[in-house]
Amino acid sequence: MSGNYKFDTLTLHAGQVPDKATGARATPIYQTTSYVFQDSEHAASLFNMEVGGHIYSRLTNPTIATLEQRVAALEGGVACVAVSSGMAALFLTILSLASQGDHIVASSQMYGASINLFEHTLPRYGITTSFVPPHDLEAIEAAIQPNTKMVFGEVIGNPGLDVMDVPSVAAITAKAGVPLVIDATFNTPYLFRPIEHGANIVIQSLTKWMGGHGVAMGGAIIDGGNFDWGKDGKFPTLTEPHYAFQGVNLWEEFGPAAFTARVRSEGMYNVGPSLSPTNAFHLLQGLETLNLRMDRHIANTAKLLAFLSEHEQIAWVKHPTLADHRDHELAMRLMPKGVCSIIACGIKGGRDAGRAFIENVQLASHLANVGDAKTLVIHPGSTTHSHLTPEAMANAGLTDDMLRISVGLENSDDIIVDFKNALRIAKKVTEKA
Amino acid sequence: MRLTFQDTEIFISTGGRDFSGASDVLLFIHGSGQSHLTFLQQGRFFANRGWQVLNPDMPAHGHSQGQPLASIEEMADWYAGLLDALNVSSASLIGHSQGCLVGLEMAKKYPQKVDKVALIAGAMAIPVNDALLDMAANKPDAAYQAMVNWAHANDSHLYHHSWPGQTHIEFGNQVMSANHQAALLADLSACNHYEGGPEAASAVSCPALAILASHDKMTPVKAGRKMADMIPSCEAHIIADAGHFLPSERPYDVNKLLRSFLA
Repeated sequence: MSGNYKFDTLTLHAGQVPDKATGARATPIYQTTSYVFQDSEHAASLFNMEVGGHIYSRLTNPTIATLEQRVAALEGGVACVAVSSGMAALFLTILSLASQGDHIVASSQMYGASINLFEHTLPRYGITTSFVPPHDLEAIEAAIQPNTKMVFGEVIGNPGLDVMDVPSVAAITAKAGVPLVIDATFNTPYLFRPIEHGANIVIQSLTKWMGGHGVAMGGAIIDGGNFDWGKDGKFPTLTEPHYAFQGVNLWEEFGPAAFTARVRSEGMYNVGPSLSPTNAFHLLQGLETLNLRMDRHIANTAKLLAFLSEHEQIAWVKHPTLADHRDHELAMRLMPKGVCSIIACGIKGGRDAGRAFIENVQLASHLANVGDAKTLVIHPGSTTHSHLTPEAMANAGLTDDMLRISVGLENSDDIIVDFKNALRIAKKVTEKA
Repeated sequence: MRLTFQDTEIFISTGGRDFSGASDVLLFIHGSGQSHLTFLQQGRFFANRGWQVLNPDMPAHGHSQGQPLASIEEMADWYAGLLDALNVSSASLIGHSQGCLVGLEMAKKYPQKVDKVALIAGAMAIPVNDALLDMAANKPDAAYQAMVNWAHANDSHLYHHSWPGQTHIEFGNQVMSANHQAALLADLSACNHYEGGPEAASAVSCPALAILASHDKMTPVKAGRKMADMIPSCEAHIIADAGHFLPSERPYDVNKLLRSFLA
């Protein structure tokens, strides 16, 4: 951290000082759509992007601004825009950089909805993507074209748990003059801060560990402010006159925050995937304990890994902290405090055994989310990634027997007992079949 | 606007409006290791209210090319020459920090070119300790961080910002990092060696305004008051709970005071 306060302090305080009018210590929920201007000149100064302030909650809101500033502080960015979901954050990032005829390089092993966005939605608007394995640095470099507007990947792939060598990829993208956009949802800034390792933009699904309670959706785009958008005229959305706001040149007028200004002035203005102030409040409550929760997530994950690795009903276990994971050394180097609280494992007996396990856990919840305080389980092949082709499934490292576990904050003994019982029933199902 | 001046390509922000140069020209003068972005919330504000804004990056700063200037006197000459190159007979100067030293020197040396001078977080002398000079020479990134930290008040360290979603600390680090690596050391050395402040301040013949910050660790209020007292016609204002980076920390207060003064 570069300022006066450390990470743990910023999780509690960043973005907020006690409300000067009321003295409120907690961040108030400003549940309002709009804001009274002091006079017509004040209104004009806000609409002309002369000074900061609030106009309309589709664009900004005081509660959301507190969340944005807190997330920016934790990630080490110059600015942040909070939106309605992690997918909205990814889409607005692309919208702000790429146009018809442009190209993206993306990891082949990531969240199914992200793959769909790149593979099916964006081509309809003339933006194409080359998918490359996140481990293959040569392939990433070779895939970059003159019209490539970003390289995108997840620090820890969902659900395969492949780890991207962010510093090495950042060296490639910096040399190529292309921004590196990193989804850092699985690690959170407590475990790894991509901007400090050369990434230029970070995407967060705040719905997951950042909020941590499973009660509010949200996403964030964090601007590292460390990319030279003016070089070579390659990013006209930031360096050519804006079609609104009196033709402002965002790179010249806003410097390191030019990208954020584009997200706000086009993405939020013209598309508008706004976060609700109440959700922002809930996410702020979660962030206050991020460091404490992540330590517990990591500790519980280690205990569950030890249990699963020894269990006769488990065919294989995948987690970057295990010595046999292909990215073990890299993961331990980048994330010495812990890697993530997702475990992928294969259950003996394939799909039927997997179904029996999921239907018989009593404490863990079968649902389509990760990063909740509660332990979650799912069978990706039949749910989150079911829309992928068999080839895409294989490319993403998914198998029929695979379970994805999001380890929660319960007492680890209780999680293990729950899993033990469900595995016993799954074994019986397999034996009967 | 980009132009070649003294054989160097330089950038001048005009606040998003075309510069005609006819009258009511404001010349913004940034501080050590900074750029036009110091006045991000002043340039557009005044350009949209009828002023002709010149907010340049000094050589080796921001988008301007070239080598950094070596002394406050050279900087004053450079800004005065820039006005000549743009056919501007006179302007009101708005300086921040080191820019106040430059503004005072310009007001002394080129009084006919200076209509009014506004000095934000300024002093008549800005001595720089050896440790910071050493850092600027050998570990510029550490020097940027140290200066950005000292330059902001506690609210900014708590990431409170009047512009939603923005930060002061990381933004400040990136602005300084974007300059030519030699820029900061040259600027700090120029400040450290400048001894003409009292003479220049007492020679100011135009109306002057000093805007000071109560929690300024770099040019403390006491030093700012001394400067204001030395200038024959200077009104001084102290903004509470603010640090050295007044233009971004307290843009509404600064703009209000500037507007009233410049009217």
